[in-house]
Amino acid sequence: MHNIILIARREYLERVRTRSFIAMTFLVPALMLGLTVLPTYLATHGSSQSKHIVVVASDKRTAELIQQQLSKESEEQKDQPAGDPQGFENRFRIEKLNVDVDLDTSDREQTALIERVKQKELDGAIFATKDALAAKKVLFITRDVSSFAANEVIQASVNRAVRRDLLASKGFSEKEIDNALETVDLKPQSPSGTRNPVVLFFAAFSVMMILYMTVFLYGISVMRAIIDEKNSRIMEVMLSITDAKEMMAGKILGVGLVALTQILIWAVVVGIASSTALVASAGMLKGIISIKLLAFFAVYFLLGFALYSTMYAAVGAMVNSEQEAQQLQVLVAAPMILSLVFMANILQSPGSNIAMFASIFPFTAPLIMLLRVAVQAASPWEIGLSIGLMIAAIYGTVLFCARVYRIGILMYGKKPTLPELMKWIKYA
Amino acid sequence: MYTIELEKVRKSYDHFVAVDDLSFKIEQGGVFGLLGPNGAGKTSTIRMMIGITVPDSGTVSVFGQPFDRKCLKRVGYLPEERGLYKKMKVLDQLVFLGELHGMAMAPARKRAIEWCERLEISEKLADKIEELSKGMQQKIQFIAALLHDPDFIIMDEPFAGLDPVNSDLLKNVLLQVKEQGKTILFSTHRMDQVEKLCESICLINHGKAVLQGNLKQVKAQYGKNTVQIQYEGNGNFLKGNPLVQSFSDYGNHVDVQLAKGADPQQLLRGAMEHSRVSKFELMEPPLEQIFIDVVGKTDA
Repeated sequence: MHNIILIARREYLERVRTRSFIAMTFLVPALMLGLTVLPTYLATHGSSQSKHIVVVASDKRTAELIQQQLSKESEEQKDQPAGDPQGFENRFRIEKLNVDVDLDTSDREQTALIERVKQKELDGAIFATKDALAAKKVLFITRDVSSFAANEVIQASVNRAVRRDLLASKGFSEKEIDNALETVDLKPQSPSGTRNPVVLFFAAFSVMMILYMTVFLYGISVMRAIIDEKNSRIMEVMLSITDAKEMMAGKILGVGLVALTQILIWAVVVGIASSTALVASAGMLKGIISIKLLAFFAVYFLLGFALYSTMYAAVGAMVNSEQEAQQLQVLVAAPMILSLVFMANILQSPGSNIAMFASIFPFTAPLIMLLRVAVQAASPWEIGLSIGLMIAAIYGTVLFCARVYRIGILMYGKKPTLPELMKWIKYA
Repeated sequence: MYTIELEKVRKSYDHFVAVDDLSFKIEQGGVFGLLGPNGAGKTSTIRMMIGITVPDSGTVSVFGQPFDRKCLKRVGYLPEERGLYKKMKVLDQLVFLGELHGMAMAPARKRAIEWCERLEISEKLADKIEELSKGMQQKIQFIAALLHDPDFIIMDEPFAGLDPVNSDLLKNVLLQVKEQGKTILFSTHRMDQVEKLCESICLINHGKAVLQGNLKQVKAQYGKNTVQIQYEGNGNFLKGNPLVQSFSDYGNHVDVQLAKGADPQQLLRGAMEHSRVSKFELMEPPLEQIFIDVVGKTDA
């Protein structure tokens, strides 16, 4: 035990002192904040510029209704409190619109308008002519064809205007029309809480990705360290003092502690950042970091890391270079990659049989169970069973891999074949 | 008491027998040479002494007890395959290995600094291993094997790759350590070093002991049938000479094995006829000659 601690301490100190550790520790949260907060911030706050749009229509009433709706839409968005998670669907903002009306529906005018958009004199032109409305296909000329958020808003406005026009022509009062066009909001909610589905999704998605990345990266890092040690021939010296099991345990423990340190720093940074005004106003991270989820993350990280790094340690001991390790590495990572593939499916139906099985099967459990915990779809007995089975699987894997490791670290040269590997395992 | 006792130790890998019923004893407080050609089983034997591998059959006793991992704290090992953590600093590395051998951190540190001063590399204490030359790395490895003041020291080719000045430095250190009553196992191909350092030897070939015992007695067995000659002029008198069984020309001198019953005086006369002899010495065969003979015989 003393040796395991010494080896783990060496591994830990040597790693946290490296430049790459310090860089990873501070760059990743910066990147994460950059990736989530910045686009949200930009999208919700938008630019202060206004856009100039022309509505072309056959009759003045239609044109004015569209103009009204568009102006109203961009005004309304401005009034909405920023970062309201309930209003997630409206979080993309469009710029303030200046809308002009044009009643000339000739082809010549159309060509002229298109040219003006091209020349950047205009930002857009909507052709809501009688024919277009009858065909239910309204042409919108814009340089920002890919700005789906803005297009969405414009489409909604045109639709509303057309419906208003229709209802008004049937003799409905203004109030009746408002009432009829009012949309109903669907608010999904889990039985245990009142959490916002979008936040829940982001929480589940991000914890699973972080778990995947850390288990994978640090597992590989254990493997690399062992390949390095094999190549530096330190094994012989180490084995003259400690035994292979202690070396493997110390290494995995040390790297695991490094990973935990890093995750802890990340959690603190994200925690601090999410309480600052900037992030809170974006509303993205609110509710993602719950203590319960963090605790489950820690549990499944430790179990997943123990399971996978043991296998990576065995792979590292079997090969002489990272190139040689590649195939085996993919084989080891396969269950985790499969978990990612099934993620969307499991998020769709977190209570399905597949989801349940995958969250209990030890090799997919860390990712899938954490996902189900995050979306609050796992019952306590399932969580208990998955943890129990993982511990059993870790025990079996350690027995198996320690044997491979013990022989492998002293073998140089050719990668073992499967029969040779079986011999290593049987070898007392 | 014997520091090491191997009793009919056998180790095979698949169908290859690396060590074949090998038995020998190493007395406490001496330098023991474990010799043999490449692939003879030296490293396999050493690995079983320190529990890196376990013999298929036979027993290994260390310090008079059946092998137990606890005894490893009293053993220092310099493997032929040198290995250190390349990214670690010299002092950190030595302290780490010292701690693994059961030392506390402060004394390990103190002793590491002393050793580095003794081996004239104290200015490298804060350098990373990978920044050092091969020779310096070797000195660090050497210190790592001795830092915890072990009672049994295994040195596998300790002088390989060192210049004569540094070889001499390490050799003197080893002799001092021996004076303190420590046991040293010395594994090498360099027979001249064995002759200088070892008191007893075991020569193994194909995993079997083919020659062992006190070095002086071993050499005496072979008798004084070797003549070392230094001369200027024509050396042709040696070729086809019935007095000569075989000879090895080293450029500056020639070692001649006399044929059975040959008179060395007669050879000297012949030599003087053909060249100017500056040295003619009747001596025990060099260990190298014995090595070549014995290994050649057991291979045949």
